[in-house]
This record gives sequence, structure tokens and C-alpha cells, in this order.
Amino acid sequence: MKADGVLFHAKHAFMPNSLGYCGPDEKGQIQRDLEGDRSNEELVQTLKKFEAAYPFLRLIAKSAGRQVFDYTVPEAYWIGNRLLDLVPVSDFYSFSHHEIKGRDPEKVREVFRRLDGVAPPHHTFYVMSTYATSAVPDGPNITNQARLKIAEAVDNCRISWGTVRRVGKEELQVEVRRVNVDERGLSLARPAVKRVRYNPEVRPFAKVRAGDVVSIHWNYACDVLTPRQARNLARYTDADIRLVNRLMESEESRK
Amino acid sequence: MCVTRAGKVVYTSNGRARVEFFDGRALDDIDVSVVDAKKGAFVEVFGNLALGVLSSAEAKRRKQAWIEVAKAAGVAHE
Repeated sequence: MKADGVLFHAKHAFMPNSLGYCGPDEKGQIQRDLEGDRSNEELVQTLKKFEAAYPFLRLIAKSAGRQVFDYTVPEAYWIGNRLLDLVPVSDFYSFSHHEIKGRDPEKVREVFRRLDGVAPPHHTFYVMSTYATSAVPDGPNITNQARLKIAEAVDNCRISWGTVRRVGKEELQVEVRRVNVDERGLSLARPAVKRVRYNPEVRPFAKVRAGDVVSIHWNYACDVLTPRQARNLARYTDADIRLVNRLMESEESRK
Repeated sequence: MCVTRAGKVVYTSNGRARVEFFDGRALDDIDVSVVDAKKGAFVEVFGNLALGVLSSAEAKRRKQAWIEVAKAAGVAHE
């Protein structure tokens, strides 16, 4: 069966939307369609109302010459794949200025200037660079407690991954590497087990088992990843962290 | 995915707050402890964490920017 890009995208957009952090108030439609394994025009229209995610998909799709909901497009955005390399940095720069609401234009300019134009349209990079350029992480008196809160927020907002160790009724125990924030920047901590929610009504979670690797967003297991996807998510996340640490280093050196 | 949103703190309790965003929505349980925002402050929020306190001038600019975006998109703004 051909993998469905609409459902893949919806799986990853679902939890922050249900928490009210992005996208339209869609009154449970995404969950119903995920549980029914239904990709349909109404769901597509709902997903187009996401203020940031949908413009990112359009950007990647345009550069790659693919349909917006071709599976590889949301896969590039949430997980990472070679389509990210096809987006010209000039297009991403222009896009970041004109299509993403809420970001300070000066901060956007700073990100691109300080990274010498190396910046991928990857969800994790967007999340981490938002925190890195905020007023908080470079404050001179930042406390350890504040660092922990920032690390937790980054960890929840990014797409992380975990290896399933135990399957419960609606909860998985997964081995993950959380984001750590300290004076040297961001890093991934040593593996630890945490609990995340999942919905057994959403395919393929009725068959999830120990050893599977799942993608996670806001403590919710979004999908079961293939080995290639798991490798890509780890690789692109690692690259994002290196870039963001460069961003934070150059901020430090400017002081 | 999360978007950066600006809004006003209308209630705080133990470092958590209700924030009314310029886009007309509101969320409870925003963590404002890291930026130590008080009732009446304008904050920038990403996910459920306030990342910065905005000056009145910056808040006004952000609100106006939102109104213009909403107008362009044909969205009613209260």
C-alpha cells in the first residue's frame, strides 16, 4: 500500500494542535480521521490552516517539484530526508521573512547571517533556533531550573524518537535521548526510559511492539518509523543541534 | 508544530499564566516563570513556555502586524 502523506503529516501535527499551540480549532477532526485511517479533502483543508507547518511543506514541495502532500514532503519536514537539501537557502530566507507569522524579522536575519546561510527547513531546526534566538537561553543569570524548563520545552516541541521497551494499553515505555541544555549549548542526554501516550486506534499502533522505533511529539507517539527514517531523524537532529550551537556560540562571542 | 505568538498575561499563579494572544485565542497554563512575567505584561510564547517579555511598543507592533495578516487572510479580528 502506498504511504499516505496526508495522514503522515496529520499524525505529527495532531498533538500540538490538540494542545492549542498551533493550527485551527478543528474539534477532533484530525483524531477521527487518523482513527478511521481516512485521508480526505476535509482533512487536507484543515491541515492547510496550520500557520507554519503548511507553508513549510509548500516550500519543500516547490523546491523538490513534488505535490505538497507527497509522502516524502512531510517526511522531509518532520523527520528529514534529502529533499531538504534541494531547498535553496535564498528561498528559505525569503520564506522565513514573509511566510512565517510571529518571528521577529531581525532574529531571522541574524540566524541566516550567523550561520553563513546554512539553515535547513527542518522542523527540529525551526524549534531549536527559535529557542536559541530568544531572550532566555543567553541570559547571564539563567538558573538551572530555567535551563531544565527550556530543555523540556525544546524536547516536547521537536520530533524526537524512542525505542519501545514496553507496550501498555494507551501508554508506551520508550527509550529516548532527551535534549540537554547547559552552558555549552544543546546536546542529547544518555538514553533513559520515559512514558509516552499513543492511540491504538491509529494505524499501525494496534500492532506496535517492543523494539519498534516511534516518532514522538509532545509526549505522544506519532508513528512507527522505518529503520531509514529513524537513522535520518537522528542524523538531521544531530546536524540541527550542531547548527544551533554555532548560533549560540556566535551570540556569545558578540557579547 | 508550534508558532511564536505574542499576547498579554491576564492571570498568574505559581509561575503559570493565562495568556490572551493577539490572534484572539487564549491559553491557560503557560509557563511564565523563566521570564518572570507578571499580570499585564506582554509576552512572547512558543509552545507552552514564555520566552520573552515584550515592551509595550513591541507588543503594539506585533498586534498591528497580526491585524494586517488577519485582514489579508480575510479573518475577522476582535
